[in-house]
Amino acid sequence: MTAPLLSARGIQIRFGGVIAADGIDLDIFDRENLAIIGPNGAGKTTFLNITTGYLKPQGGSVTLNGREILGTPPRRITRMGVARAFQIPQLFTEHTVLENMLLSAAVRERIWNPLRPLSRIRQRAEMLDLLDLVGCADIADRLASELPEGQRKLVDIAIALAQRPKLLLMDEPTSGVATADKFGIMEILIKALREAQVASVFVEHDMEMVSRYASRVAVWSQGKIQMTGTPDVVMKDPDVIRTVIGG
Amino acid sequence: MTTTLALIALLDGISYASLLFLVAVGLTLIFGVLGVLNVAHGSLYAIGAYMAATLGGWLTAQGYNPWLTFPALMAAAILTGVVVGGLMERFLLRQIYEKDPTLQLLITFAVFMVLENVQRMVWGVQPYFMSEPLRALGNIELLGIRYTAYQIVFLPVMAILTMVGLRYFLRHTLAGAKIVAVTEDREAATSIGIDARKVYFVTFVIGACLAAMGGALATPTTSVLPGMGANMIVLSFAVAATAGLGNIEGALLAALLIGVARSFAVYIMPETEVLMPYLIMVLILLWRPMGLFGAVQARKI
Repeated sequence: MTAPLLSARGIQIRFGGVIAADGIDLDIFDRENLAIIGPNGAGKTTFLNITTGYLKPQGGSVTLNGREILGTPPRRITRMGVARAFQIPQLFTEHTVLENMLLSAAVRERIWNPLRPLSRIRQRAEMLDLLDLVGCADIADRLASELPEGQRKLVDIAIALAQRPKLLLMDEPTSGVATADKFGIMEILIKALREAQVASVFVEHDMEMVSRYASRVAVWSQGKIQMTGTPDVVMKDPDVIRTVIGG
Repeated sequence: MTTTLALIALLDGISYASLLFLVAVGLTLIFGVLGVLNVAHGSLYAIGAYMAATLGGWLTAQGYNPWLTFPALMAAAILTGVVVGGLMERFLLRQIYEKDPTLQLLITFAVFMVLENVQRMVWGVQPYFMSEPLRALGNIELLGIRYTAYQIVFLPVMAILTMVGLRYFLRHTLAGAKIVAVTEDREAATSIGIDARKVYFVTFVIGACLAAMGGALATPTTSVLPGMGANMIVLSFAVAATAGLGNIEGALLAALLIGVARSFAVYIMPETEVLMPYLIMVLILLWRPMGLFGAVQARKI
């Protein structure tokens, strides 16, 4: 097997009496789509917060391509290739979709001139291509605040992809989206990730979503990883069915 | 009250409102982005005025062209905003962003008191004057009233340019987009690699420069004295609250409302001059508790 992209070892964190991570070991590989499942309070979101630098664990290590990233501030981790989309997409609502994208590109390119108009940032074509990738090229000039939830999610993903990440972390990518649209949105998302050659980790509660779109599943339970494996194996495991899927 | 007197009161009000707007918009920008109500904003206004008077006085004493006092006003404002404002953010505000708002208010008030005494130590208590910019621009006649062009043309133009410039800056430039992004969602902005600490610093310095510019531009119209900062901070709080904290266009209207009402009070009922701004603020807040343009949980800048 190839060397992992991101590698977590022995992650320990507790909040008061609650143990949110109790020796988490996990490798994430290039271009895979890893789903994290598990009951509420098992520490799934905590894990995303640690790997993106928003939380510092009390013990353990996280390496990205072999380099330790614990203790690195979130925006440096972003630059190193780990992007994040949020559970509630927070777009910059007074700007258009394209302006949101251009801002993301300008930050990536470290454009120094603070007075440069957003409309004159050179990555315009590249950003339109990215919007096209998530099926949102036609709404480039709309205000981000006017978009329906599903499109906001996709634009949020495009903003993250504008950072050219190697790994994208998502917390319930389709939460808040009407059930009828969920699969369509996830379909576009997974296809975009594949084309952009980005690996992803997503926390998900919908088991059908997991079995359709994950290439691998990690089951969280009380701050530990109960098991990892392909969806068809994990979803048939009697322990997993009892503790997570319910039945 | 005669028409002439009413017109004079109106012109006085507009000229004063222009200065008030510059200070209040700085205060409201800092509050909108950083969430801190900075009482020491009044010190930046006063120090800007002292710096302008010192720099302008020196230029005049050296016998330079009086027109050079205009760039001197700007230089004094920027120097004060960047140096005093920059130090204030770096060594003080940065420590208290996460703290209780009451504590923030007390600490910035303490800084205000300290700086008030620093001004007395550096510049003494005697008043400073600098009338060169006033004389350089001369007078204009408006409906039979002679008024200084500095106060009735230059100051309002500066206020409007500031508002338009600030709106353009926030809406269309890269740095402005970063400021808006951090204001709307600091965590999400950080996640695309924006340095929120730098954004806070830059915003504070811009706000500080606006306060100092208010002070510098006020210098030709008033004597620079101890206590001028306290007066101004209280009035600009009233303007910012009347407009709805964090609202830029609203601050211009509120400044005009309060500035004009105050100058009419001076001519009609002088004893109500000090009361008038608060009366307006209270009436408007009773009618609209979030201010003229404020909305519950709306955007902040």
